[in-house]
Amino acid sequence: MLSFLPLLLFNALIACTAARSDYHERLLLRPLPQSALLASFTFRSNESSGAFEEQNFRYFPRSLGQILQHAHTKELHLRFSLGRWDASNWGQMPWNGAREGGTGVELWAWVEAGTEEEAFSRWLALTNALSGLFCASLNFIDATKTIRPVMSFQPEGDHHNMSRLHLLHGTLPHEVVCTENLTPFLKLLPCKGKAGISSLLSGHKLFDASWQTMSIDVRPVCQKEGDCAVEIEQGVDMVLDLERAKRPLDNPIPRPLPIEEISCDGSKPYNAPDTCYPLTRTADSSWSLNEVFGTSLHGACPLTDDRDGNSHTVCINVQPEREIQVKTAGEYDESRSASETLRCYKLPVGEAFDLVLPEQQMTTGLVLPTPPLYAARSINGHGQERGSVQAVIRNPSTTDAVEFIYLESLPWFMKPYLHTLRAVIDKSEGNPVKETYYRPAVDRRRGSHLELRVVIPADSSLSLTYDFDKAILRYTEYPPDANRGFDAAPAVIRLLSPRPPDRKGVYTRTTSLLLQLPTPDFSMPYNVIILTSTVMALAFGNIFNLLVRRFVGADEVPSRRGLRTILQGKLERFKSLVKGP
Amino acid sequence: MSPLSPLRLLLPLLLFLTLAVSKHTSNWAVLVGTSRFWFNYRHLANVLSLYRTVKRLGIPDSQIILMLPDDMACNPRNAFPGAVYNNADRALDLYGNNIEVDYRGYEVTVENFIRLMTDRVGEDMPRSKRLLTDERSNILVYMTGHGGNEFLKFQDAEEISAFDLADAFEQMWEKKRYHEMLFMIDTCQANTMYSKFYSPNILATGSSALSQSSYSHHADADVGVAVIDRFTYYNLEFLENRVKDRNSKVTMGELFDSYDPALIHSEPGIRYDLFPGGEEGARSRLVMDFFGNAQGVVVDENEEGGGKGKGNETEWLEELRKIEEMIEEAKRRHNESLRVAPQHVSVMEEVIAREEEGRRLKRSEGAVKVDEEGLWRKKAVGVAALVGIAGIWAAGSWLDS
Repeated sequence: MLSFLPLLLFNALIACTAARSDYHERLLLRPLPQSALLASFTFRSNESSGAFEEQNFRYFPRSLGQILQHAHTKELHLRFSLGRWDASNWGQMPWNGAREGGTGVELWAWVEAGTEEEAFSRWLALTNALSGLFCASLNFIDATKTIRPVMSFQPEGDHHNMSRLHLLHGTLPHEVVCTENLTPFLKLLPCKGKAGISSLLSGHKLFDASWQTMSIDVRPVCQKEGDCAVEIEQGVDMVLDLERAKRPLDNPIPRPLPIEEISCDGSKPYNAPDTCYPLTRTADSSWSLNEVFGTSLHGACPLTDDRDGNSHTVCINVQPEREIQVKTAGEYDESRSASETLRCYKLPVGEAFDLVLPEQQMTTGLVLPTPPLYAARSINGHGQERGSVQAVIRNPSTTDAVEFIYLESLPWFMKPYLHTLRAVIDKSEGNPVKETYYRPAVDRRRGSHLELRVVIPADSSLSLTYDFDKAILRYTEYPPDANRGFDAAPAVIRLLSPRPPDRKGVYTRTTSLLLQLPTPDFSMPYNVIILTSTVMALAFGNIFNLLVRRFVGADEVPSRRGLRTILQGKLERFKSLVKGP
Repeated sequence: MSPLSPLRLLLPLLLFLTLAVSKHTSNWAVLVGTSRFWFNYRHLANVLSLYRTVKRLGIPDSQIILMLPDDMACNPRNAFPGAVYNNADRALDLYGNNIEVDYRGYEVTVENFIRLMTDRVGEDMPRSKRLLTDERSNILVYMTGHGGNEFLKFQDAEEISAFDLADAFEQMWEKKRYHEMLFMIDTCQANTMYSKFYSPNILATGSSALSQSSYSHHADADVGVAVIDRFTYYNLEFLENRVKDRNSKVTMGELFDSYDPALIHSEPGIRYDLFPGGEEGARSRLVMDFFGNAQGVVVDENEEGGGKGKGNETEWLEELRKIEEMIEEAKRRHNESLRVAPQHVSVMEEVIAREEEGRRLKRSEGAVKVDEEGLWRKKAVGVAALVGIAGIWAAGSWLDS
């Protein structure tokens, strides 16, 4: 068994450099169990803060820079995520989860403002501007979806005036992430997805991944006093299913292989020649960059800064004996590091580049770092009136206790009762909750915000439950697809101890929840209108009749017999008309 | 000679171009799909087909407002992730790798559509979500979805009526937000939607007459649903086959003549009466006037006529000098502000005071720490109060008896 280089080390490899205008990009590939492949793209550029203030942008994207200046935003974190990270099979998340976001869109930022109201109006300006830039409905992050976390997030950058900075956080768990979000993301890069590793990113594979997250982090970085830079780090992390990703774009529907191509289990009896028990494949399957990403890598981005040995852009983390063939017409360079488990390649400029890994029977396996926590959350209960939320958080470590912050941001129509909050550790007594911050919801104005500081002893699991009521919405407040349910944002878990290795912290998120609210039959108002109209017509008709008609006894009515009587009657009426009253 | 002399040659040329080509200087497209849910795939494919066409003919993304109420490309039901097709041969991926959707999902509402058209938007609305047209802009408005007699459904939840639409366009006309408009709609009973228009310079066409349905063209077995509607399909066929490049001289009349009720399975309608020049004027307009991008330039009309050339030149020079002065002034002010490094003491104090105030306010909006001990104390106070009240009541009843 080989121990594999933790991503942590890799993180240090591309640690930030001097505060000058430069650009770096890096792709890390790492096979995961069950023929999955983790691909982590990192694009980082700097702009000195002086140039940033004067709007002299070299690699920093101007469109984003101007938005940040307009909204007085000093530090920004934006995430577009899809799918679920399977921690039990894939281990610890890349970058310790610091680049992960909750399902949908998550945004948090430190906004500079004198007052709370000013900060909020700038936050709205920021979300609206970002919604235009990234083609996402970020403008839906209003007061009901905004919270001000107390302990869950710490600034990653170096700020001078923390007292004037306001942290605001908003999520859109239902937001779809698709190609229209990737297009502006790529346009922020200096090479615009035309060259360099970004040429591998296409919506067809990225949004077919088992798990993917696109992240944008902007933070001020200071080397020493006065030598500051604004740094933007864009990242894409995705887990591709190799078998699925290898399907051609124009024919992605899996069809059964012809029987000649399947290796059958010969030890089993067959009653016909066209039956087969397929053998489980033990060898690592073959794949290449072109095949998996559906496009070819068009050489290096010429704007990459290749000083400081950062020129080896594509890295792959595999066993030393794994065979890798490099296919390119240009010049490339290979380097091996971290006891040969990390192979990095310097890309040729202007020439296509491809890595081919043929099928190979491997004797050594992967050792994946264990995540510090496993977290799962679900809604319990039945009926449309109330329910309860249960979060189960397990500490797999046999030696260390884990201290963390648990953050819930619930929509206003999901009303938790804090007094029902129970935190139970399966193997010990005592209250694991050390600190609680809470802000109750106000109907249609703000959502609830719950933050807990919790300690779980070694090798035990915590069960956190609370009850909530479901609100009844107004008729016009239901979305067009109300019967689908409403999404509640994922809970954010930030580790406090064991101490995170860097300022970015260690994070885990649960999945989002689908909340079923009482949904009316939307044709009901029409039924009501029709019924009311009928009742009104009946009542009105009767009253109108009573008012305008004169009712007389049957014997008072002159009998009408024949034409003569009718004519006589008409004549008399005419006479009386002529005579007048 | 003065340095501006080439301008004197250019000016008549520009004037000539403006008069000869057309009177609009920009082209915009508003492409609206109004249906949610997977089985309405074809409506989004319709919109995206038009999006690809106007982009092909030169309208940039910044001048296209695309409204997609649902996500088809990344829908879990889509067997072709990240792709939308409008034909069973799947030759063209409409979603591609370069797409900008301006309004999507729940943002596609009647209110947002009317706000977009009339530009009644909030102050924070980004430019990419606004229709920044003027009285020299030609607009293509394309809508598709499920509709009926004088209404069009949005997301199966609300409707826009023909009267709303007509009033919105009238408001646009009053606000000088368009020069000429082509309104195109593909829905059931589509022709009723433009019957209430009363604003000038609108050319309208629809897929089907009153009490006629508008049908889909064909389905793709792997996508599993119909992929395009008939009216849009035959419009696209014409645009693909006849309008090959941006210099095309194909007229709207030729486009309208290509409509064949036998193929479309409904009777397409065309409304000419609001357009200047009526039927003749409308039919002679180029397809590129609405589907392509104009590169025309309009020079102020009072500069027409040959004799004023010299005067214009001096005016221009004057203006240039003024602009130069303004730039100098701005630079000077900027440099001055840079030089003033140490701020006035009173200003600093004010800032500090404001910061303190800010710090004081900071906690007012955030979550509050829930103190367990305090909770018990509060409970004890509550219990004591209750016991006290009960005591008073007991004492009162005892004294009474």
